[in-house]
Amino acid sequence: MYRVETMEDIRDMSRGAVLLGTGGGGDPYIGELFVRAQIRKGRYPTIIGCDEIADDAFVVSIAGVGAPSVIVEHLVSENTLHRLLARAESFYGRRIDALISAEIGGANSMFPLALSSISGLPVLDADGIGRAVPQIEMTAFSIFGVRATPALVMDDSGNIVTFDAVSDRMAEDLIRVVTGAMGAMAFGAFYPMTGKQARETAIQNTLTQTLEIGRTIRQARLSGTDIFADLLAYFAGWEGRAARVLFDGKIVDVRHETRDGWHWGEAVIAALDDPEDQCTVEIRNEFLVARRNGRTLAIVPDLITIMDRETGEPLTGEMLSYGQRVKVLGLSADPALRKPESMEVLAPRLFGLDEDFVPLEGLMAAATP
Amino acid sequence: MTGYRIGIDVGGTNTDAVLMRGNDVVAAVKRFTTQDVGSGVVDAVTGLLDEAGDLDAPVRAVMIGTTQFVNAFVQRRNLERVAIIRVALPKGDGVPPLAGWPDDIADGYGSRIYMVGGGAFYDGRDYAPLDEEAIAEAARDAKAAGIEAFVISANFAPIRPDLEQRAEEIVKAIVPGARITLSGEVGGLGLIDRENAAIINAMLSGFAIDVVRSMAAAIAHLGIEAPLYISQNDGTLITTEVAAAYPIFTCAAGPTNSLRGAAFLTGVRDAIVADIGGTTTDVGFLAKGFPRETATANMIGGVRTNFRIPDTLSIGVGGGSLVRQAQDGRWTVGPRSVGFRLREEGMVFGGTILTATDIAVAAGHADIGDASRLADLAEATVSSALDSIHGQIADAIDQMKTSAAPMPLILVGGGHVLVGGSLPGVREILRPEHADVANAVGAAIALVSGRVDAMFDTTEHGRESALAQAKQQAIDAAVAQGAHAAEVEIVEIVELPMTHMKTGATQIKVRAVGPIAELA
Repeated sequence: MYRVETMEDIRDMSRGAVLLGTGGGGDPYIGELFVRAQIRKGRYPTIIGCDEIADDAFVVSIAGVGAPSVIVEHLVSENTLHRLLARAESFYGRRIDALISAEIGGANSMFPLALSSISGLPVLDADGIGRAVPQIEMTAFSIFGVRATPALVMDDSGNIVTFDAVSDRMAEDLIRVVTGAMGAMAFGAFYPMTGKQARETAIQNTLTQTLEIGRTIRQARLSGTDIFADLLAYFAGWEGRAARVLFDGKIVDVRHETRDGWHWGEAVIAALDDPEDQCTVEIRNEFLVARRNGRTLAIVPDLITIMDRETGEPLTGEMLSYGQRVKVLGLSADPALRKPESMEVLAPRLFGLDEDFVPLEGLMAAATP
Repeated sequence: MTGYRIGIDVGGTNTDAVLMRGNDVVAAVKRFTTQDVGSGVVDAVTGLLDEAGDLDAPVRAVMIGTTQFVNAFVQRRNLERVAIIRVALPKGDGVPPLAGWPDDIADGYGSRIYMVGGGAFYDGRDYAPLDEEAIAEAARDAKAAGIEAFVISANFAPIRPDLEQRAEEIVKAIVPGARITLSGEVGGLGLIDRENAAIINAMLSGFAIDVVRSMAAAIAHLGIEAPLYISQNDGTLITTEVAAAYPIFTCAAGPTNSLRGAAFLTGVRDAIVADIGGTTTDVGFLAKGFPRETATANMIGGVRTNFRIPDTLSIGVGGGSLVRQAQDGRWTVGPRSVGFRLREEGMVFGGTILTATDIAVAAGHADIGDASRLADLAEATVSSALDSIHGQIADAIDQMKTSAAPMPLILVGGGHVLVGGSLPGVREILRPEHADVANAVGAAIALVSGRVDAMFDTTEHGRESALAQAKQQAIDAAVAQGAHAAEVEIVEIVELPMTHMKTGATQIKVRAVGPIAELA
């Protein structure tokens, strides 16, 4: 168990959450500001490991749902989070013992921490996916048997809608419709589960990972060491995972478009010394696939992150623009996301890509001359 | 065009002035900036008129660009405490105003925060009624505390400006002399970033009135009976009334004017511009005659805002940069600099410190000071230091470019002599006459602009109709600023459809620019 007590720590976590967001998940900045305002008042989020709770403890995900371009206007209400907790407890008919992030990549890394700082409830050092994904049914919770509903969604005015869907795929559609009526941004309680289920289905240690990733980048900047070498050294300590700088260059083209409510796009990055040597990253909310001169380097559900090559700042898809000098980082997904049952919802073809999943390690080996 | 125009750039160190007629620079001078701003302006313009001799036509307009306001905020001087009224409850109470500000300024000014009820969704629907009594109560409380500067920020103000406007009426009725900044007037979507810009503006609002008054008094003192305009961030002009009310609009005018001046002096509209000063070189990108602007949030004095400023890259190479030998034997230039002491400490000026200017003189790029004092300088040292200068500038240019194709490079600023010969990735190097006062020339280009940044519904009337509506609003805004209606052009359109929701809402940003009607 530990508490997040400094501005530096929460900024580090926010930066790490953008890295794990693989270009999507929304900017954690607003949630970070919420927690910073609480830290200033001496109220700190508490983080505990999944091994620190009882098997029959009651755990719920607290998440924001809606459009990233709306949350920057609506911000977050302390009052709403308090009421959400109270109403969720009466809805589920029992006290909540711990909170958990549905999605560590991006904005939803922050909201459980925000509620923790004002309620004192601990947040589990884990989340539903270990990255960002575009839809509710794509989380490890859903894949390994924890249902997103019964769920409760509320807006700041106090409107509350509860859901009991026949599938998490259907829950996704229903929740989006209701959120639209609430002004395209709402908060909710999802994935009610036991401590045992959290231990068995969640991706572990991910909050601490955001802190350590952000801290590694910050400390490398301060000490003037090679940010990417330090990051790779840090990732080398993750059991069963591989990391690699896939490409180093300059963004020479970015296309963005919105279809069916999704951010689609493509970024083309050219090597600094050879403009013909290009890396293309396809975007559908998140970075889906990175290819160098047509050859795949990394593909979903493995993580692809684009970072400023000087400052090491991880960039969201919306932040990419012409002329930026970047490095593309590949990080293998948690082993749970590569299991056959995970592939049924996370395979590249389900994201509209015309190829099968090959692990980053395999692609790395194939690329070695 | 028969009359003359005077362009003035009030920088941190120098006040530059140019006298222009049509497209010609008739006279140019450089003077020191003074604490009170006004006497430096008088000094520069007096020198300018002396140099020009008798004028055969009147001065029709005076344009001033200044970094005074942004410098004041960055240095935390001339700021006043403000009352911040945010109209958003029941939303946003977890992220109050000033949440992300550095402690030195968030806590140090005794500013008061009032969060009141009201606000709108992205589609313009109210989610809560405006709490008029709470606004009145806030105004009374701030008045009792002696606060004169107010900020009013409301959810989705770019779409529902009426909420902030109604709140303003209420405050004005209670505090008649209040200086009020509405967030919707200073920024686009993103409440925190827009509110931050409004707070910076309000903190500067008293100082802005003094500075603008000092400038106007200086022009009147010189007997010039012409309207005075101030440069804003995108290089277009605003009236003194607007500048006094919105000093935040001027905070990036310095680099913009330098880029716009470079375009004007060369007639080249697409180029890289390097402004080489005493300590730094600022590299910017001109597209269609205007600076490329940053795409992401900007930090000003440690505070995040979302108004757009020119995308420039600053590197530590300038005329006063120190030249020193590294451990590997090569010579490096910068980032440390003797700065404004160059004229005492540089070797060609009789000093003892080897600077980038000495290297330029030794290499034969420039004839400044006493070259004979460099007789002992080894040729290898000169060529190694030149490699360092050229390498750093070429690298910065490459970072700013959007493609590998060679582009023209325009050199402005007093340090342009540091670059000689050619640079990789550069098609040709242009050194226009009056390059050292390009920023004052940039101020003298008489254009005004209008902008719109709001959410439009594309489902009901379609994308084309939404775009047409946005364009018309931008043109109307430019005309309201004094543009000649027949010559207003749309120079920028950005569309950002809302993701994660299947709605037809699209954020559209449009900028329209045209010449000032009185001068067209």
